Amino acid sequence: MRRVAALALAALALGCSQAEKPKPQVTVYMYSEYIDPELPREFEAQTGIRVRLDVYEATEEMMAKLQQAGGASQYDVVVVSDHAIPVLTKLGLLQPLEAAKLPNAKNVSPQFANPPYDPGSKYSLPYQWGTMGLLYRKDKVPQAAELSWSLLLEPAKQPGLFVLIDSMRDMMAVALKMHGASVNSRKPDEVRAASDLILAAKRSTRCLGFEGGVGGKNKVADGTATLAVVYSGDALKACQENDQLAYGVPREGSIIWVDAMTIPVNAPNPDAAHQFINFILDAKVGARLSEFTCYATPNAASLPLLKQEDRENPAIYPPEETLKKLEYLEDLGDDSKLYDEIWTAVKAR
Amino acid sequence: MRSRIHPLVGLLAIATFVLLYAPLMAVAVFSVNASRVGTVWRGFTLRWYARLLDNPAVLEAAWNSLVLAAASTAIATVLGTALAMALARFPWPKGVRRLLDLLVYLPVVTPDILFAAALVVAYQFLRAVSGAFNPGLLTMVLGHVTFQIAFVALVVGSRLATMGRTLDEAARDLYATPSVVFRRVTLPLLAPGIAAGAMLAFTLSLDDFVISFFTAGPDSTTLPLYIYASLRRGITPELHALSTLIVLATVLLVVSLEALTRYRKD
Amino acid sequence: MAELRRANVRALPLIVWYGRLVTRRRLWGEGALLGLGAVVWLLVLLVLPMIALVALAFAQRGPYGEITWDFTTENFRRLLGYGAFGWSADYVRILGRSLWVAFVTTVLCVALSYPLAFFIAGRSRVTRYVLLGLAIVPFCTNLVIRTYGWMMIFRFVPAEAGLYPGPFAVFVGMVSSELPFALLPLYAVVERLDWSLVEAARDLYASRPRVFLHAIVPQTLPGLAAATILTFIPAIGAFVVPDLLGGAKYMLVGNLIQQQFGASRDLPFGAAVSLALLILTLVGLFVIHRPARQEAAR
Repeated sequence: MRRVAALALAALALGCSQAEKPKPQVTVYMYSEYIDPELPREFEAQTGIRVRLDVYEATEEMMAKLQQAGGASQYDVVVVSDHAIPVLTKLGLLQPLEAAKLPNAKNVSPQFANPPYDPGSKYSLPYQWGTMGLLYRKDKVPQAAELSWSLLLEPAKQPGLFVLIDSMRDMMAVALKMHGASVNSRKPDEVRAASDLILAAKRSTRCLGFEGGVGGKNKVADGTATLAVVYSGDALKACQENDQLAYGVPREGSIIWVDAMTIPVNAPNPDAAHQFINFILDAKVGARLSEFTCYATPNAASLPLLKQEDRENPAIYPPEETLKKLEYLEDLGDDSKLYDEIWTAVKAR
Repeated sequence: MRSRIHPLVGLLAIATFVLLYAPLMAVAVFSVNASRVGTVWRGFTLRWYARLLDNPAVLEAAWNSLVLAAASTAIATVLGTALAMALARFPWPKGVRRLLDLLVYLPVVTPDILFAAALVVAYQFLRAVSGAFNPGLLTMVLGHVTFQIAFVALVVGSRLATMGRTLDEAARDLYATPSVVFRRVTLPLLAPGIAAGAMLAFTLSLDDFVISFFTAGPDSTTLPLYIYASLRRGITPELHALSTLIVLATVLLVVSLEALTRYRKD
Repeated sequence: MAELRRANVRALPLIVWYGRLVTRRRLWGEGALLGLGAVVWLLVLLVLPMIALVALAFAQRGPYGEITWDFTTENFRRLLGYGAFGWSADYVRILGRSLWVAFVTTVLCVALSYPLAFFIAGRSRVTRYVLLGLAIVPFCTNLVIRTYGWMMIFRFVPAEAGLYPGPFAVFVGMVSSELPFALLPLYAVVERLDWSLVEAARDLYASRPRVFLHAIVPQTLPGLAAATILTFIPAIGAFVVPDLLGGAKYMLVGNLIQQQFGASRDLPFGAAVSLALLILTLVGLFVIHRPARQEAAR
């Protein structure tokens, strides 16, 4: 009996000592299907640091993880949507980036260099940017010219089964735009009206429920749904694989967003984090990244390296007239509570 | 004594079996379907199973599930058996006994999600105070053990009740010391009960979703969590293959353990 | 002898316990030592967190999702319907719906388990073991897998029928996942049924339903009570099945709690909802247990 115990203790000690010397690792947290699987392998080949990828489906899920579940001390790099960065900063969950470790930061396009959501790019550097719109089946939806959110939200016009997006600010933005309001509206009646629209759509038997952008895209891609609210890159990837599908920004307008890389305050390996961010900002890596994700790159040095058809694709790089109809989501501060409550009500009823 | 059974009873029974097995059959059938997209049958194939072996995330999730189940079962069996013995073999006053019974039944009558929510709150507090207790295998083990103790204690306790005192007292009559009585008489008699409790605890931990969901960290995904996360992105045939494998493994585990306990009894 | 009986037995320090001559105090000490590990564990990781949860229900949520420890009953007011947009019955509806789903699931599970238990009990010994084993296997299988198996089956049903995602799918999923919990306790009592009573009832020309209600059910009451409890509790806290089979269209208490701890990042409100769930569970248990205990007492 005692011999068994001694053996067990020895094994435990050995196990612990092995655990003391792991391979250096950087833990990255981003949206699902958001990075070319080749890139982490290349990073590891270059630096010897292993990349551990964890994914989320919606911004709120990521924020809950960082805020409550100790994510701030488990992830090294987190890719965050623009409107969430001020919140995370105010909550003290991000650490400032060290410019000295990021020589490739100069590659960032001037329009993203000093963004309103993060003055001076103190805490973040952009990863990809894009738009949000409708992914639809070309045979069921009359041509793109008059693409409208009403195909989703008005029962009379719904061409088939559809999927709503399971992200509070994004789904509310769709409904607000339908009524011509701003996606950052703080007026209770506008917000209420928007939520009523979503509720009516949700109750229809043609609604397949709420999914993340990737989930919605997959449902349209495998034929289960006719249309879904999807982000530009995800949608375009699906269109590449299936020419029965198309993507467009509806005429009422939509949101334009930037996702940025940040380092949480208690990251286990901040040096590796900086190295990873620097790697992504390299010109060639940035080009490959955008080629895979079909999103727009914020990296000025990568632009010339892109395929011409991508650079000229209006779905990826919207023209001036579309840009006018696109709004950035802003952090609403105290008024967030309004949206949180109405979103709970939308999901609950 | 057998009695005539109304044919309706038989029909309902069979219908119930169908209800129980329908989802498992569906998953198994689609796991060998050569079509990537759900509903059409395109021929038999095993390639989705092959793809699983290439997937490091799946293998890691499987490993985590096993480690978690093994560690938590070990701890819970020891603590639960001790608790059962403490409850059954000692003359507690009525009030104390009621309180202890309440404590043991509490995890059983609390819905999983309540307990999980309470754990989240507790871990947040512990994290603020000590800086440790980040979501990961440790927090998951702690959570699993807590509900496993109750089940082990209940199973072992019922075995203790059926065992009774006579053999122990007979051993004492033969001048055996308490520790000898325990080692040579009580423990061997109790063994099937402990094994059953441990098996129950192991199964509960392997299948647990709710508590793991709320206490898992980035590198401690378990199989149920992996399946759920994949589901939210879309149903893929690899998922069917994985699920069928898990079901088969579970069946094997249950059958072999049943055979073992029955063989032991004989 | 009479004096010994009248005297308070506890006054005697020594008792005979499992063949040992020993004082109660010493036994309590040993017992405490034995059970200490488990009791401390349960206290620290079960009781204390639940108290913390109750305390949290009275805290507030800051604008960015932090917890501010100012005492407030706001969460409960919100639960009863007084939100930022005036009164609405949303949450009360969810609570009621959860109670209803749990109740119906329990009834259906019990209703299906009785025939199955009788069917199995009536077979030969070997067949019985095989059938029981077959019935237990799904129980040991993962809930997520079983639920998404149903998702696959429902894909063949046209979505316009409103069955999936929706309440029908949720009920199917719940019943098929809770059934084994009801079957096992019921089978345990059905196997030991005293058929002579049933024969007697038949000899007295009782009709089939009366035979069932008056000769069979009362004998199976302890198993019935256990079956209903074991089905009701997971059913009322369920969130995987309603999440996957109901979409966001059929929200139950479990989903609401999950949402507050996740996307909405409103822990205090989540704690208040959890408290409501706890009360619902206790109410449900009480409602089930009371008639069962009364019957057993008779």
